[in-house]
Amino acid sequence: MLRNIRRASQGIFLLIFLYLFLQTESKGANELGYPVKIFLDADPLLWLTTALATRSPERLLSLALIIIAATALLGRVFCGWACPLGALNDLAARLGHHRQRPLGWFRLKYLILLFILAASVFTLQLAGFVDPLSLTIRSLALSIYPAFSHAVSAVFDAIYVAQIPVLTDASEAVYSLLKKTVLPFRPPQFHQAFFLGALFLGIIGLSLVERRFWCRYLCPLGALLGILSRWALLKRSASEGCDGCGACMASCRGGMGPVAEGGWKVSECVACMACDDVCPQAAVRFGFSRKKARALDLGRRRVVASVAAGIAAVPLVRITPLSKAVAADPALIRPPGALSEADFLRRCAKCGECMKVCLTGGLQPALLEGGFEGLWTPVLVSRIGYCEYRCTLCGQVCPTGAIKKLNPEEKAKVKIGLAMIDPGRCLPYSHGIPCIVCQEVCPTPKKAIWLEEAVVRTQSGKEVAVKKPHVDLELCIGCGICETKCPLLGRPAITVTSLGESRSKDNQLLLG
Amino acid sequence: MNRREFLKSAVVTGAALSVPPVLGLLSGSLEAAGRPDLCVVRGSSPVASVRAVLDGIGGIGRFVSRGDIVVVKPNIGWDRTPEYAANTNPEVVAAVVGLCIEAGAKKVKVFDHPVSDARRTYRQSGIAEAAAAIGAEVSFTDDRKFREMRIGGNTLKVWPLYTEAVEADKLINIPIAKVHGTSRLTLGMKNLMGVMGGWRGRIHQRIDESLVDLAAFVKPSLVILDAVRILTANGPQGGDLRDVKRLDMVVAGTDQVAVDAFGATLFGLKPADLGYVRIGQQAGLGKMDLEKLSIRKIDL
Repeated sequence: MLRNIRRASQGIFLLIFLYLFLQTESKGANELGYPVKIFLDADPLLWLTTALATRSPERLLSLALIIIAATALLGRVFCGWACPLGALNDLAARLGHHRQRPLGWFRLKYLILLFILAASVFTLQLAGFVDPLSLTIRSLALSIYPAFSHAVSAVFDAIYVAQIPVLTDASEAVYSLLKKTVLPFRPPQFHQAFFLGALFLGIIGLSLVERRFWCRYLCPLGALLGILSRWALLKRSASEGCDGCGACMASCRGGMGPVAEGGWKVSECVACMACDDVCPQAAVRFGFSRKKARALDLGRRRVVASVAAGIAAVPLVRITPLSKAVAADPALIRPPGALSEADFLRRCAKCGECMKVCLTGGLQPALLEGGFEGLWTPVLVSRIGYCEYRCTLCGQVCPTGAIKKLNPEEKAKVKIGLAMIDPGRCLPYSHGIPCIVCQEVCPTPKKAIWLEEAVVRTQSGKEVAVKKPHVDLELCIGCGICETKCPLLGRPAITVTSLGESRSKDNQLLLG
Repeated sequence: MNRREFLKSAVVTGAALSVPPVLGLLSGSLEAAGRPDLCVVRGSSPVASVRAVLDGIGGIGRFVSRGDIVVVKPNIGWDRTPEYAANTNPEVVAAVVGLCIEAGAKKVKVFDHPVSDARRTYRQSGIAEAAAAIGAEVSFTDDRKFREMRIGGNTLKVWPLYTEAVEADKLINIPIAKVHGTSRLTLGMKNLMGVMGGWRGRIHQRIDESLVDLAAFVKPSLVILDAVRILTANGPQGGDLRDVKRLDMVVAGTDQVAVDAFGATLFGLKPADLGYVRIGQQAGLGKMDLEKLSIRKIDL
């Protein structure tokens, strides 16, 4: 009974999660109209690590307090009843056999948590890599959903191309319905998609090794909630009727072997209540009690080692020449409203929401453009897609304020970089061929590309009048549409770099 | 049967039909007498202007027959709201759609292949909402429906075009008048670039010749030039209201060269200043000599 209620709760939360994920896409208006980042807003791990890394008190009031309060009262109910990755783990576990005797590595996740917290105290934000909500949204957005969309479209495209009477009409009707509901407006394509997808499927696949492997041994959010659950009032108890049959062992999601004396630990219990349902003696009971749980014993050396490793990671990832303005990767173009690089990295949760919502698909997960610390953070790759002049969605969906929420008027003043022309490749400059697509598409109210009327001589000595494009260094905002649309496929004749970006004091070109 | 074949066969059957010769001649000449090359309407209401301009050019029934599938092709190229004059005026689009439906069109399709993100252009331009409200089928272009077509021009030989535009019974081109870097102005012929797929930035290399080839191939039944607001600088995208001039004007004609030739004068240019107008006349696509055209002007 309780089990079915829990399943229903998991299902509802997973559906809400997926629905909001699908709504993280523009319909053409300035706003999305759905609270698409609400799960991330309520994430206590992101809340805590961001607050530590940025020392920002402004985030004290947060939806995360709801989950913290629920955990303090009821234990890890979030893990068992609401977490979408937990639900996916449970679903995956149904696909096959998994070991019955737990590995018992549960301490590992606390050590991971300590590592992350120690790093965040010293301003290094690593939580986003392993936070379950960040991980799930990023993996879905950058890999699983694109693969799903590609697969579905490929099937319908094949039927469309074949033009089979009746069948094609029917399939087109279904396809247009899918396009209106679950398929993306444009096929999403991301760098590292294969790797990110394999990682995610691997994590879920661990459920086949052992039920909820991720939640038991790896999840740092689970660990944080485990610590908070120490004072929880909801407790499990077994009456004297328990004959140690072990039925509850097999059903336990926390893997804590609730049979043995002292075996049940509130910090590992995700309150799935399966043990209550399966107990043949009906000896299991969940009830409220003020008895304090025993403290977790992680082992002092392990704790010290984790904290030390977290601290050591900070200089280790930062000894890179990329941190110097002059050596920074010019391709590190951040979305409009992104904070200065150091502040940005302290906040970015690598959740992929900005990349999911980006209209043109230009926002891509970084590899090492911003150093190891910047892995999977958003960079604008203008050859793939540009920043739409009046769109402000990336700032709207950013859960941690790494990208500021701007209104269109504010955004128009933000430079994310600067375009420069390569005269050696540009058609009018080098080849006497008219073009100036870059000038046509330039979106600033006074165009940031101006034209010089010139006469160039061709090989045969013929004089041709052309217009040579020039970038106005003051007006260009670095949106990249010129690079996206430059007719020179491959290497374009106009490229944007981060030079002149508003968010940096050092990365500037012009005097004053 | 596409529109071109249809037109061809219509001419043949029309000639063969046994209309009493005298009567046919009479009504034909009467109609022709009432039919100017261009009709220009000035009026503060875009909807009234569109109705007047169509009446002036011979009535919507001259272009749309009962049961037709009609494509109305506005400019929905840019993520700008109507007051910036970067896209065709939504009221003009809706009025044209409304007239087509009144004339008995089976379906009126509205689409464009925009430069900016289509979701934003359709929405921000106000066109999707206005056209759908009056009964048009508004859709985004579907990549699968661009097909390589033998255009057979001097410059544009083969190019992927949007099948729905080419195969429609009637195509009504409703551009807005704006300045443009490469072609000086974007008017009717330039607006047809919206039915092109592929890497179309390449046609800028010989834009005037390409546009004439495209216009000769696509051959809209009617061109209605929206000059309610025109964009006089920083086109085709604009973004500064000081560059927008309100003319409250709508121009209609079947001669693509003539409409664009007239459009040039709105910006203080001569028809021959526009390469595609000049080349269009040379290629026999239409007439650019405004003196020799009959232009009906109506002030509302």
